Amino acid sequence: MSLDSTSSTSADDSPDPASPESVESQLGSVALSEPVAELASAANQVARNGVGFATASEGGDDDEEDADMGGEEGPVGRAEEEVWADYGGVGGLAAAEEVGEGLGGGGVVWGRTNSELEVDEPASPSSSGYAGERGSSGASSGELEIGEVVEDEIQEPRSDGVDGVLDSQASWVPGKRHVDEDDASVSWRKRKKHFFILSHSGKPIYSRYGDEHKLAGFSATLQAIISFVENGGDRVKFVRAGKHQVVFLVKGPIYLVCISCTEEPYDSLRGQLELMYGQMILILTKSVNRCFEKNPKFDMTPLLGGTDVVFSALIHSFSCNPATFLHAYTCLPLALATRQAAVAILQDVADSGVLFAILMCKHKVVSLVGAQKASLHPDDMLLLANFVMSSESFRTSESFSPICLPRYNPMAFLYAYVHYFDVDTYLMLLTTSSDAFYHLKDCRMRIEMVLLKSNVLSEIQRSLLDGGMHVEDLPVDPLPRSSSLPSHLSQPKPPTDSPERFRETCDWIAGPAGLWHFIYRSVFLDQYVSSEFPAPISSPRQQKRLYRAYQKLYASMHEKGIGPHKTQFRRDENYVLLCWVTQDFELYAAFDPLADKALAIKTCNRVCQWVKDVENEIFLLGASPFSW
Amino acid sequence: MNWRGEMGLSTAASVNTTPEGVQFCIFDLRRGQQEGQELDKILFFYPADLPFSTQLSVIGLSEGLITFTRIFSPEAACEVIEAERHSHVFFEAEPDIWMVMVVEKKKESEAIWRIDALRKVLMEVHSLFVMFHGSIRALLEKEPGGGLARSHLYPFIKDYLSDFLVGKKLLLPSFRDSLKERGTVQMLTVSREAAIEVQSLVKVIESCTGNAPCYSLILFQDLLVSTTLSPEDTINLFTYAVLRLTPRALSSGVSSWSYLAKGTSPHMATAFMMAHSGPFPEQFYVPRDTSPAGDNRFRVTRPLRHDKWSKGKDGFFVTDIWGMEAGTSVPATPTVLLRQTEERMYLCAHQHKNLTVIFLLPLSSILNREQGISVMKQQLLENAALKISKVEEKLSKGWGGENAYHVGGYRYLLVDGDRNVSRTSPPGKVATLTKESLLALNKLREEVDLDKSRAQWDNAGHEKELEVSIRAKNNAWVIARVTRGKELYIVLEKANETLLYASDAVEKFSNRYCDGAFSLD
Repeated sequence: MSLDSTSSTSADDSPDPASPESVESQLGSVALSEPVAELASAANQVARNGVGFATASEGGDDDEEDADMGGEEGPVGRAEEEVWADYGGVGGLAAAEEVGEGLGGGGVVWGRTNSELEVDEPASPSSSGYAGERGSSGASSGELEIGEVVEDEIQEPRSDGVDGVLDSQASWVPGKRHVDEDDASVSWRKRKKHFFILSHSGKPIYSRYGDEHKLAGFSATLQAIISFVENGGDRVKFVRAGKHQVVFLVKGPIYLVCISCTEEPYDSLRGQLELMYGQMILILTKSVNRCFEKNPKFDMTPLLGGTDVVFSALIHSFSCNPATFLHAYTCLPLALATRQAAVAILQDVADSGVLFAILMCKHKVVSLVGAQKASLHPDDMLLLANFVMSSESFRTSESFSPICLPRYNPMAFLYAYVHYFDVDTYLMLLTTSSDAFYHLKDCRMRIEMVLLKSNVLSEIQRSLLDGGMHVEDLPVDPLPRSSSLPSHLSQPKPPTDSPERFRETCDWIAGPAGLWHFIYRSVFLDQYVSSEFPAPISSPRQQKRLYRAYQKLYASMHEKGIGPHKTQFRRDENYVLLCWVTQDFELYAAFDPLADKALAIKTCNRVCQWVKDVENEIFLLGASPFSW
Repeated sequence: MNWRGEMGLSTAASVNTTPEGVQFCIFDLRRGQQEGQELDKILFFYPADLPFSTQLSVIGLSEGLITFTRIFSPEAACEVIEAERHSHVFFEAEPDIWMVMVVEKKKESEAIWRIDALRKVLMEVHSLFVMFHGSIRALLEKEPGGGLARSHLYPFIKDYLSDFLVGKKLLLPSFRDSLKERGTVQMLTVSREAAIEVQSLVKVIESCTGNAPCYSLILFQDLLVSTTLSPEDTINLFTYAVLRLTPRALSSGVSSWSYLAKGTSPHMATAFMMAHSGPFPEQFYVPRDTSPAGDNRFRVTRPLRHDKWSKGKDGFFVTDIWGMEAGTSVPATPTVLLRQTEERMYLCAHQHKNLTVIFLLPLSSILNREQGISVMKQQLLENAALKISKVEEKLSKGWGGENAYHVGGYRYLLVDGDRNVSRTSPPGKVATLTKESLLALNKLREEVDLDKSRAQWDNAGHEKELEVSIRAKNNAWVIARVTRGKELYIVLEKANETLLYASDAVEKFSNRYCDGAFSLD
């Protein structure tokens, strides 16, 4: 019996008692064991032949994506100046079938991003139809080493400097890697964190590592597990084996699976799968389900062709962007007047038929305005920003692209006009109208003029350089020093730390009161502020570890059924973590593992006071997306 | 075996559990790998009256996931499947021999489990089984048809599970048992003076058997006083004694240590009543493949049967569980297999009031079987009877009663993982905690379980150090401390709201009752 036929039976919760049984009994003995047996024997083979392979993969492994969004300036890239506009002009991509065509037509764009696939040669059929557009960059050799280099050496994956793109080009590899692997490769099996998207008939749609087409057998096994449990009237959530966790998420005809040994809690991994699904919906809308209604064996891969970079960038953000588990967004610190100027002009535009106007710098919001009553969920913002930042083509030209905001309306496309003012700062204007490109272009020009005139863009660059809240600057005096406090946020700091300042730093981040880092999440605003990383947490690896610790703390505090807890103090070999959840805010703070409890508590109180003192500059006030 | 015929008749195959909400199976991955012979892999299934197709479906899923997870985690295959309505708990008892328990979750009721606690049930029943019957693999090798293994497993596990039986329901350890740790022994704290008496009793016992080693285990009520066995063997014998031999086990028919016995659940009263009256209907455990003729091929002893031990005039226990010595009407003395030495020993238990003394004599050291044992018993009594009653008297005098280990204001569990010893608040006191606190503790313990198991896989050379204090929604402090192989869990319900207060309370507890093991300085 083929797996496809088992799955199609299992897919419709057939009331007929006879057929599922026989399918089942065979699934028990055949379907589940056969592909698995194949895998097992394949594994043995690989194990016998592939000793060298195995060792090669040891260190280079990364659940961790070093790779962020495409930093590559490939030669293909510049060609499509107007493609997006044209694409938008095609208009009305409401039905998913049409999306297929539409993307086919706009394939140059996607193909271009695909060109960042460094490893696989065009011979691979993985992104059917676009193989010809895949370039191959010189980075293809020794991808395992690249992993290592990146893990160890990149200071700030989301390149902070103005020339971040150039920097990153040298060091991280965007898009999917290890395309040459499949489930028989020892190296593939040792990857710390896999993500799979497949259809309910077991067809692969996306795999973080390896070529989807070569993973068809593996994908069928995942499908078999899910439908086997489903046929028993249940739904599988996760499976644990040693350090590994296999997390399942079923979204109608779409199955998402994460296989991870990263020690992240189930709730966090499940949340990540939800975001993966959201990202897919953002690209295709939920109407893609209709394709599966018509044809359960529908092959979705062409629809997503070239979006590997979007997913890999999202996966990377799971380990470096707290927004992925806080369900909140963060703002670029700016003087109140500067932000007000930006808000004013966006508001102006929003009144002229724009649904949402968002000005962002990297993943931080500068200002955000929505038409009356329209509200933007932080997860939608995260997914939209990820989509824009990871697709290189948005950087090089003004673009008009159909997108769907899964939390806003998962069934319908909106249209996003995207324009980069500089390498970090971009404007997104969302509308429901497919022919609004020229109107939005006008809007953008008006906005640009105002931003330039009022120096907002240069203020943004300055804020980027200054960074946000530094724990070293935590006021010693518990009383608010309202005049001097905000200054560090809005005024340039001395270029480098003076010796005096350095000493102060040491006092703060070492010893019993050693505050290393904090995240403050405002419950009402749906916003958070995260302090800059101090010296003890300077490498990406350390930062990722801290984020993972926060993520775990978040999951523990918000445990379903019994949470939220009020306070948590947690000390292990790496940190002292303190969490404090109230109706108004949540504070997550990390201290030196030797920190003294009493001092840590005092410090937390001071942090809260500090945040309140500077909230005008770190938060977008009165603009909560939910409060209009 | 005429299972093959049944294969065609497979009916509703589903992971659905029975009304009791529990399924429990043991299967051997080395068996039944050819089509048509799948039933051969089933060594045990509860409830046994489920259709074979359902049994195979449960085992098929388990097998599939064991193979699947080995792709990524060859060193540790599937440990648990969490689904929305069920948890499937795995334990590889012996190489390729797996025990899987499927429990139904019911959020509205008490059916909220901690996976590790359930796995410890599997581990415990397997350890006890091996102690009496040897390994499952050895039974399978002795009789490759599997009938021998099955006929031993079915009644043994049935008898074991009957301790969890309330009415027709199995009540497994739930979140209400978060302040207990299965697989550990509970010790009696004795005065220095009493300790010296105990020590001299142990010496006397040791010297009784001449050259052959004689091991002993001494319990006062349900608490361990002394042991000369390895930690693993100590746990097994301690567990068995508390289940079937101690005064309380004898009088109630239910072990006091059992999760059902001491007022932690509202089903308590029924637990006591039902335990006697509720042996499983035979069809629940008798494997149907064994025709009456087949069943009788193997003489099966049932060491966990209730009410089968009685005290003789000399204070030694007698039972007919092990049948009669060949050609006589003298009950055969039970034997157990020691894990550490892999040696089979005669098990002789003696009880004087609250003091239970277990003697273990090597089979090889006794020549004439029951006759020899009888001589040995006499010798033991002659030498040790006086000391036994003296020790009993001393311990009774110093005994603080049921709530001896209660610490006012605290509800706690203290586990010494290196020595496999635990101490907890008395069950009656734990029962005063709110459901919210216990749920929060259950969750915290789950987190710690995970951390510990990861630390174990990381094998980083250093043991896990962890301190977690949570103020739950109901304002209770729920605290976990892990340090140098020791664990301490505390719930403070009527505590001040500050973290410092809670920490201070732990510090005081640690200094006073844990030799400062969890103190920060």
